[in-house]
Amino acid sequence: MIRIALLLLTMHATLGFAMCQAEEIQQHSDQIDQVVQARLAGDGQERRPEIDDYTFCRRVYLDAIGRIPTVDELDAFIRDVGPDKRSRLIGELLESKGYQSHWYNYWADLLRVKYVGDKLHHPGNYGQWIKEALRTNKPYDQMVHELVNAGGPLYKPGNGATGFYAREPMPLDHLANSVKTFLGLSIECAQCHDHPFDVWTQKDFYKLAAFTSRTYLRVDPTPDLEKDYALDRRKLKNKDFDEWIVFRESVRVKHAAIHGNGTGFMRLPHDYQYDDGKPFEVVQADVLFGKMPALNHSVTKDKLDTLGRKNVGPPINSRESLADWIVSDENPLFTKAIVNRLWHQVMGTELVGPLGNLSVDEMGPHPELTEQLIAVMKDCRYDLRRFLSVLFNSKTYQSKAIALNPKESGYVLDGPVVRRISAEAIVDSFLSLQTATPDQFVPTEFQWDGFTHFYDKSQSMGVKDFVNYSVKGPGRGAFQRREENAARRRNGQSGPKHLWRVSCYGHVDGSHDIAMLLGKSDRELIDGGNREPNIPQILFLMNGQLEQQIIKQPSVYIQQKIKGAKDPQDRMEIIWKAILGRLPRESEKGLASHNADDLIWALLNSNEFRFTK
Amino acid sequence: MMNRRNFIYSVGMAGMSLPFLDSASAVTPDPKAKSVINIFLSGGLSQFDSFNVEVDPAVIGKSEIIDSNVGGVRVSHYFPTLAQHMDKLLVINSMKSNQGAHPAGVYKMLTSYDPRSSVTHPELGAWVSKQLTSELDSLPNFVSIGKGSAGTAGFFPGQWAALPVKSTKSGIDFVNRNPEVQDEQFQKRLGILGTLNQDFDKQYSTKDTRAYVDTYEGSLRFMNSSDIDAFELGKENQQIVRLYDKQEFSQRCMLAGRLVERGVRFVKVELGGWDYHDNIYGDFPANASRLDKGLAALLEHLDQKGLLETTLVVGSTEFGRKPDVNPNRGRDHHPDGFTCLMAGAGVKAGEVYGTTTKDGKAAADNVLEVPDFNATVAWALGIDPACEEKSASGRPFTLANRGVARKELFT
Repeated sequence: MIRIALLLLTMHATLGFAMCQAEEIQQHSDQIDQVVQARLAGDGQERRPEIDDYTFCRRVYLDAIGRIPTVDELDAFIRDVGPDKRSRLIGELLESKGYQSHWYNYWADLLRVKYVGDKLHHPGNYGQWIKEALRTNKPYDQMVHELVNAGGPLYKPGNGATGFYAREPMPLDHLANSVKTFLGLSIECAQCHDHPFDVWTQKDFYKLAAFTSRTYLRVDPTPDLEKDYALDRRKLKNKDFDEWIVFRESVRVKHAAIHGNGTGFMRLPHDYQYDDGKPFEVVQADVLFGKMPALNHSVTKDKLDTLGRKNVGPPINSRESLADWIVSDENPLFTKAIVNRLWHQVMGTELVGPLGNLSVDEMGPHPELTEQLIAVMKDCRYDLRRFLSVLFNSKTYQSKAIALNPKESGYVLDGPVVRRISAEAIVDSFLSLQTATPDQFVPTEFQWDGFTHFYDKSQSMGVKDFVNYSVKGPGRGAFQRREENAARRRNGQSGPKHLWRVSCYGHVDGSHDIAMLLGKSDRELIDGGNREPNIPQILFLMNGQLEQQIIKQPSVYIQQKIKGAKDPQDRMEIIWKAILGRLPRESEKGLASHNADDLIWALLNSNEFRFTK
Repeated sequence: MMNRRNFIYSVGMAGMSLPFLDSASAVTPDPKAKSVINIFLSGGLSQFDSFNVEVDPAVIGKSEIIDSNVGGVRVSHYFPTLAQHMDKLLVINSMKSNQGAHPAGVYKMLTSYDPRSSVTHPELGAWVSKQLTSELDSLPNFVSIGKGSAGTAGFFPGQWAALPVKSTKSGIDFVNRNPEVQDEQFQKRLGILGTLNQDFDKQYSTKDTRAYVDTYEGSLRFMNSSDIDAFELGKENQQIVRLYDKQEFSQRCMLAGRLVERGVRFVKVELGGWDYHDNIYGDFPANASRLDKGLAALLEHLDQKGLLETTLVVGSTEFGRKPDVNPNRGRDHHPDGFTCLMAGAGVKAGEVYGTTTKDGKAAADNVLEVPDFNATVAWALGIDPACEEKSASGRPFTLANRGVARKELFT
């Protein structure tokens, strides 16, 4: 009895909490709408008309989970008569597996999850870390702190944040990319010379780099452990190439790690050319702006200057201080940069400025809106799902999209702009036509990485075990495949590959031929994806395998739906809902007499399909 | 109505607000070469088992050295056909790279730059295409045949990337209508599509939506173009077809010859598989034979068509192999002294340029670093190797990364 009462009480509390959270979200959405409204009123403009349920449904599916809704999903939403049905759908989508899948594509591109051959860095554990952060909705500031400050074994389960440091072959490049990714600041020029058209000097760059000095990726065991392996490694090298490679790689899986965590000092480069320093002179860590975190230096710059050219002092964990500074509430760029990014993702335009090229004081064309969004992000405590929910619930988001052309003025960030959907979302939207359950094979516990799997095993393995594992073992090609398959089995049924979301493809680097053709990032560079047409892409859309997979494939979901149609008009309605997410217009009804396959082909090739509005 | 011959150009430009060929001044009027065929031997060709054989006998391994049709120039016996074409080839034995791993080495060789994580550099072919494309061109000026790296435009707009042809059998992907769709049906579909797009355009026309409409138009013209037959080897005359054997690499060479005949400026032909860390003498001969026959036939092909004078044929690789054979009977990576080839366009054919030390360990005389090599190729096409373009963030980069053309390689 007491237990039931307690349960009821807990349920009530949870429900109350949920209610309260929904109210808070709506309050934040309203605040944004008010700021936008004030600006519109000031400019003598009307708010753009609210979109209908069909347009809303397609738009929010694409923006929240990265694919169009299936006919059933769309119908269910239209049939729903609840007054809060839009906010309920937003909540459901953000809690779904589709959210993890869609936003993984975004974060894996931004963080450039990719195999780096030269360093034997297999990014599976890194990718898993991101997926896990999305699944558990890790606050963004915590995410960034962990990425910047990551250390220890590369393949240890849960320690995949190390992949961020391991991604870069060079420490100075890594620093420039970190600053660009998390602060939206472009300082890479200052790596080699004073920035030609910004305030940053080369010395500023080196002072910032001093936080991370002596951080390095080492794939082989540390020298003290290395000697235990040396004899067997040599023996195997002279005996059999494949066995030697497997030995080397498997030992590395156990030992590859990020070492060191900053000494707070750095040396100027050998060719330093400015008056404020000499080549090889010691510089002490300092931030680019804002409050300098305290460092526990045990030596002084003057003392170090008297020592050898390579000496940058003892480790003092200064990289953690860099992470503190980056994610600090007071850092004027940290929150602005992520708000700028998410607004760009959801509305299709920059809120403040170019994603990777902001300046400290810049507030964009509507400073009050930028300020409001920064405040909302802080109020949400960097809970990204919640922040997105605020955006999706706003009238601003739910208003008619504008086709923005460069020469038109008067756009005041009062709603989304027409834009092409991402490469991954196009490919994943094909799934919404092929199956009633397009998110079925997004694994919830992403544990598919062979190296991470093997790391667990390797913990109890000594030198002789590695020798036994390698001799007459799997061979170098099969080593990773074997471990990967073992890891995959752990994950349960993964379904046929053609029904996977793009985020599950080659989790090594997200390689997916068609998505690449449609402009998916190759993850070499930050924000490397593109949404432009080119001839090979169009040839695929017109003449590619969509014909066999969807347009003329009787077994797929959309064709099954069509089978149930009463007449050509009904059939047309199903096709329109499935691909464009809306009912046919009066003016289009003359097209109903065409064959279904011709209509499907035309819709899949249409601008309305690949642009969101 | 758009002129057929300028559609590629217009399509490339569709939706871009780029200045037209803003650096045309970097092009000289009377170049040595009109086109380049770069046969890229990815994996790292063993110089000591091919064209750098005047080294200590211990370095040579199992290769036997044979005479060629040029007095004083000897080659490995794995290249008996090319041995009879050495009067057309310039051997460069003093190549040097600073990159010893495959991805970085390939990147360096194709772009002249070390890989960095803040920018991707355009391949030489993209520079050439951007510099030399004119309104009169009917085909893209950068074509990449074979798998391997696709031919990236780096920080240039995507239109300057290579048109990929994965294999000569499949040709350009999806360039033909689906076989189950008849022409009449295809036209009907296009009609519906046109109606839909016009409707959408009334409310939501942007630069990006218009770029799509233009690119569809361009793609349709490309599908229906009479120039598309440049990609169809079946259209080649028998006299030329007979020069080649049926292996894929040879067919790729024939395709490259056809494209150059139609005026394509830069064709990259991939022949990979040279990474023989183990059992080199078991596996190398078959691959060497492919190169031997395909390249020899290509030289003959271009010669017969009178194209060799205006086509610079390049055989390049990201690095060479070590002078010593390892315990697995293979050779490991060696960037400090490797071998590339050139032919046509007035290169000093029949000569050997540069040397390595006799022990094979390092380039010795006339060292040619990778940026200099690429600068030389650009210069031969009449392009200033120092011509400059800016990345998206405004950083300036030059074509050859400070490389200087080695004009003495030409007569």
